[in-house]
Amino acid sequence: MSDSLEPIIRFDHASFGFPGVIALKDISLSINAGEFVGVIGPNGSGKTTLCRAILGLMAPVEGHLHIFDCACDALRCHHRAKIGYLPQKGVVDRNFPVTVLETVMMGRYGALGLFTRPGAKDRAIAMEALSHVEMDKHKDTALGHLSGGQQQRVFIARALAQQPKVLLLDEPTTGLDMTAQHNVIELIEHLHDELRLTIVLITHDINMIRSRVDRLVLLKTRLYAAGPPADVLKPEILSQVYGKDLVITDKDLIIVEDYHHHH
Amino acid sequence: MIELFTYDFMQRSLLAAAMVGGLCSVVGVFVVLRGLAFVGAGTAHAAFAGVALGYLMGWPPLVLAILFGLATVWITGWVEEKGRMKLDVSIGILYTTTMALAILFIGLMKTYNAEVYGYLFGSVLSVTSEELRVIGWLSVLVLGLIVLFSKELYFIAFDQEMAEASGVPARRIFFLLLTLVALTVVVSLKTVGAILVFAMILIPASTAYQLTSSLRTLTLYSIVIGVTTAVAGVVISATWDVPSGPAIVLLATTVFFISVLFSPKRMKRAVQAHAH
Repeated sequence: MSDSLEPIIRFDHASFGFPGVIALKDISLSINAGEFVGVIGPNGSGKTTLCRAILGLMAPVEGHLHIFDCACDALRCHHRAKIGYLPQKGVVDRNFPVTVLETVMMGRYGALGLFTRPGAKDRAIAMEALSHVEMDKHKDTALGHLSGGQQQRVFIARALAQQPKVLLLDEPTTGLDMTAQHNVIELIEHLHDELRLTIVLITHDINMIRSRVDRLVLLKTRLYAAGPPADVLKPEILSQVYGKDLVITDKDLIIVEDYHHHH
Repeated sequence: MIELFTYDFMQRSLLAAAMVGGLCSVVGVFVVLRGLAFVGAGTAHAAFAGVALGYLMGWPPLVLAILFGLATVWITGWVEEKGRMKLDVSIGILYTTTMALAILFIGLMKTYNAEVYGYLFGSVLSVTSEELRVIGWLSVLVLGLIVLFSKELYFIAFDQEMAEASGVPARRIFFLLLTLVALTVVVSLKTVGAILVFAMILIPASTAYQLTSSLRTLTLYSIVIGVTTAVAGVVISATWDVPSGPAIVLLATTVFFISVLFSPKRMKRAVQAHAH
């Protein structure tokens, strides 16, 4: 559970998008320090927009967004380095000619600022981040020579090298095999527990995270529901959002077309 | 053969080729990794239009080449950033427009001007001391900026959005990269010509890409390949009396195909495929 109720990300009636196309409307939501929050919703529900907003890449067209008490309304938030980000698989070229350590060192660049070269301290921080994800032995390996799961670990280490307060993960398990998916989620849970990081995890895989998160945020252009998983994953809420009837069993969330017939 | 190297023109040519080869190959690393291949080609033709206008009006051709080159890359970058148009479409339109302008300016000249064609096809053997000084100063400027901002340039080449999300001023660095591409093209125009300059940017870095999976090694290999092929191309050009631009580019292309054949990355993939 969360350590305190100190809000570090605060949306206040915030809407995001472009003129004429609103991707997220009237979002009011606080994410507290130390929380593990899962963000779910169907395709096109605004999950990636929420992610870009938290990263300071999109300013609200209405309302306000505060990150670490800094208003990000004018895209001048100076706290980007405090948010470690894992992009969706496929966004970056994973065959880029770069070694594992070079990749993780990039996590230091934002904090270093222009004109400053990374030094021994930055290298030590990068190596520590690699050891957190158990990839330190592969530091000189080419990124393209790693498996998908290992590459995700390296990208998580790159985010950790920023020494962030928040870890923002966009679909971290997509495209991985079952074992790798499980390992990545376990790693994220471990980092949350060990480093007391605030985790914001965007995913389609409700089953994978519902027993691990403190809170779920359900989006469909607007904030449909937010709260403990049991309160959000109610059949009536899910059927409204996903357009199909979903029921929760002890282990799984399953789609049934004729849920109402069953009852 | 040795006697060749005692001539002033030959020494100037070799020095110009080495500087241009080194400069293009360093900028080329970021062009290849950031996927700006077409931007370089478009800029070269825009810069040539500037040269043609310079000769038509009697204005300094290199200054106009810089202005045309910078205008092209900045408009392209702005259009991409605003998401108004795909990068290849905007550069394609500017590429053909500036080439049409170049042909128009040449057509408006009353007499045939061999110097203009020197900028189109390259004539490193006729580089003057003054041009050599301009190449030298612009090379120092471009390489200095690359050294100063190398970590940010590598990061935006890897993933610009991730760089921006990490607190790096990625958009400004992207425009810096576009500016460096334009300046490099202008510096290289006289040596290899507007048509072939882009090969000097693209081929050494693409060759190095075949050989290593480390950013630093990639940059080092690219410089070695760029300088060596440029200097060797000039020697071939002077020895066998063939045009210098094609000599440099065809030599670099040969090295590229050899690197593809013996690429450790390719061989590793082949071994892995066989093992499966």
